[in-house]
Amino acid sequence: MRLSSLCHGAFSSTYARAPFQLPTSLAARRALTRSYHTNYPAQNAYVPSTSSGSTVNQDEIAHFSRLSSLWWDEHGEFGQLHKMNPTRVKFIRGKLVESALEDDLNANVDEIRPLKGKAVLDVGCGGGVLSESLARLGGITLGIDASHSNIQIASMHAAADPALRSRTIGHTGGSLEYKHTSAEDLLREHGPNSFDVVCSMEVLEHVNNPRSFLDSCAQLVKPGGYLFLSTIARTPLAYFLTIFMAEDLLRFVAPGTHTYSKYVNPHELEEFFRSYKSSLTGRNWITGNGPISRVQAETRGMMYVPWRGEWVLLDRGSKWAEGCNYLFWVRKPVEA
Amino acid sequence: MLSRVATKYWRGRVSVSTKRHASSVPSERDVVIVGGGPAGLALASSLASSKLVRESLKVTLVEAGDLSKVREWDPPRGTYSNRVSSITNSSHEFLQGTGAWDHVEQGRTQPIEEMEVWDGISDARIHFSAGDAAVEPASQIARLTENLNLQRGLLRHLSQFSEIELADKVKVDSIVQDEQEGGGWPLVHLSDGRVLRTRLLVGADGFNSPVRSFAGIQSYGWAYDTHGVVATLFHAPRNSLQSPNTVAYQRFLPTGPIAFLPLSETASSLVWSTRPPLAAALKALDPAVFAGMVNAAFRLPETSVRYLNNEMLQAHLAGTPLSLAQFHEELEFREKSHMIDSRSALSSVRRPADSGMPPDGAEDYPPLVTSVQPGTVASFPLKFSHADSYIGEGRGARTVLVGDAAHTIHPLAGQGLNLGLADVEALSECIVDALSLGGDIGSYTALTPYARTRYFENHKMLSACDKLHKLYASTAEPVVWARSVGVEVLNELDALKGALMMSAGTTKTRGPPGQVGWELAARGVEGFAKNVDNVRVLGSSIAGVVGAGLRQLWQQNSQGRRL
Repeated sequence: MRLSSLCHGAFSSTYARAPFQLPTSLAARRALTRSYHTNYPAQNAYVPSTSSGSTVNQDEIAHFSRLSSLWWDEHGEFGQLHKMNPTRVKFIRGKLVESALEDDLNANVDEIRPLKGKAVLDVGCGGGVLSESLARLGGITLGIDASHSNIQIASMHAAADPALRSRTIGHTGGSLEYKHTSAEDLLREHGPNSFDVVCSMEVLEHVNNPRSFLDSCAQLVKPGGYLFLSTIARTPLAYFLTIFMAEDLLRFVAPGTHTYSKYVNPHELEEFFRSYKSSLTGRNWITGNGPISRVQAETRGMMYVPWRGEWVLLDRGSKWAEGCNYLFWVRKPVEA
Repeated sequence: MLSRVATKYWRGRVSVSTKRHASSVPSERDVVIVGGGPAGLALASSLASSKLVRESLKVTLVEAGDLSKVREWDPPRGTYSNRVSSITNSSHEFLQGTGAWDHVEQGRTQPIEEMEVWDGISDARIHFSAGDAAVEPASQIARLTENLNLQRGLLRHLSQFSEIELADKVKVDSIVQDEQEGGGWPLVHLSDGRVLRTRLLVGADGFNSPVRSFAGIQSYGWAYDTHGVVATLFHAPRNSLQSPNTVAYQRFLPTGPIAFLPLSETASSLVWSTRPPLAAALKALDPAVFAGMVNAAFRLPETSVRYLNNEMLQAHLAGTPLSLAQFHEELEFREKSHMIDSRSALSSVRRPADSGMPPDGAEDYPPLVTSVQPGTVASFPLKFSHADSYIGEGRGARTVLVGDAAHTIHPLAGQGLNLGLADVEALSECIVDALSLGGDIGSYTALTPYARTRYFENHKMLSACDKLHKLYASTAEPVVWARSVGVEVLNELDALKGALMMSAGTTKTRGPPGQVGWELAARGVEGFAKNVDNVRVLGSSIAGVVGAGLRQLWQQNSQGRRL
């Protein structure tokens, strides 16, 4: 199990020391480090184009192509991320459908493409594993990452796919764009209340200042919109699986990838949103002190089942549900 | 960049004319199915039946042959193609679910309601009937259908969906991987000069699958020293005192099983697995003698079948095939020496048109064949093969195999086509699931559930049929004894038969009854054998072989389910 190789990307210019998953091989790590340092200052998103007239530097293309093979090698370093992706999308889709029906039981909900026409932001998109799925499901998707090379990789991968290459994805109405920026910069640029759905998967556990990061993400969500997070709980089980086993013992990922103290427990996220308001006059995102209504927020555990070769969403309230990897969803109050 | 890649490719191929060059800009597809046989057509039809697929995916099926010949297939009434398949109930349900079954001409299909299976040497028998299926009541074990009837039905179903492109009379010249960064999609070069760049390439292209070669997937297996002889047989209808012609018969001879599969009241299909020289001799026979050989092969004691085989082979090798008169003489002599009365069910001597009571036990044997439909006697070599993987990786990424491209099976259980259809059902479910989660349907992650669903199921069936073939090819006394005990124990236990039939694909193999069945079968054989005194003489090893075989089936069964 490579529970720790799930960092979804780099998220912020200010927090990151280990902006994305370091590959185990020294050569690859050097390549990544080089790209990170040399390319980072470039502020303009640089998207390789398929048109013959582009000024694509072939050396750069070759270089990013090597990195790309890391992100998109389904048997490699990021294999677990690929396996986890359908499970995350299932959770996202389920919550969208559930909430739409909650708002209006008679609503004509597109259960297959509940993201159709919605503005979607993927913070820390990495190689674009989640962003591509969100776009295919009809989301007008923007993937952002603080790592320039990740944005290159994601753009290049999407460019090879005719369904993602065009600005609008056929009948689904979805589209996909990548931008090299951080959540904070994007907030400054777009202003608050910009996206119907904001996702940030496997990023929170790498953040130095999670409260500030959560605040930026939360502000980007439109009133009545959704914030999806996934991260790792700070439990002995999580320590054992993601640090002791995956890093120290089995060396699936480089030691130091994860920092136990940065893991966030579900109840800490809940507490944050119990006291969080989008504005001085608005209501808290989660109201009341008792059990949380599923209409406001929800936590679901996620576990890799080796003999099935897939990640499963654990039942609500199951014993191990929130012991290691989990998904968290919260809805921004409509009146906020 | 795309055109750059394509240009580079074409430059490398000096033999390509410039005319082709002009049309070599790849056309983007989501699914390219190579092969328009039953599996390929069923996949296209199944995908077409999904609204989500029709909306989201560009699907092209490429077939070298002329599909209009299949579409316009219209055989004279009462004649049948020699390539038939028994469609199990789960395959039937699948085809009904996609809507394709409505386009299969029902009048040309025949239900199999019962099966008679017996040992060629000891005559130990198993009787299956549809009512034995323990899980859910079914009126039929399977339905016999000409492959062409099914293929025509699938094409008719497909003609309703303009979204699916059928490219026939077009060969696949070559398949290469595109060189676009972040891409690596298969480029399929067609004989009409077109190039298809595809998200997912499906190999439904049979045993010698070019797609499998492109994907670099190894296949292991062997050719059995056996050919399958097929023919369409005519016979008198069963009379009013007998059940209709809905019983399938199969006798396990040491040379291979011979099967009689009902197509209508007066026509049935033959699948006779036998040694290649015997197959050649059979094909060269006068049709009347051929019919006689079939009748005898189901009825005479094994020693006499072997004797007749030898006579036929010697005559064939001498260049003077057995004449009808010679054959009758031999047959009468053999029957007399076995004291078979000419009015008994075991006699193949033709009786005047059936009148009155059929002989005792007539239903233990198929109706007497009176003639063979001209031009239907054919043979093909039997093989066992299983691809190491169903999904391509690395240089062969974005490829997947279904049907005979993935596996070929001994026809003794009639499962070849059904395994292919089950593959197709699982693959289309997998594609729809991935679509609904925004997945890339060509990715390994999206295709993994397909391989996980099918690989062990297929392997279990392939191995079971392989083991049965080998078990029944033996004439060694202890083996015959043990397997006969095995067969008769099975016949006593209705629940076990249900289990056997279930795993033969009659009903969906889900839930524990199948497991329990196999386990009981294994215990039953071992337990019975241990109580027989002879076993001390023989040693328990043979009973162990049969028991272990069944137990292995059971284990594979339960493993397959767990995985």
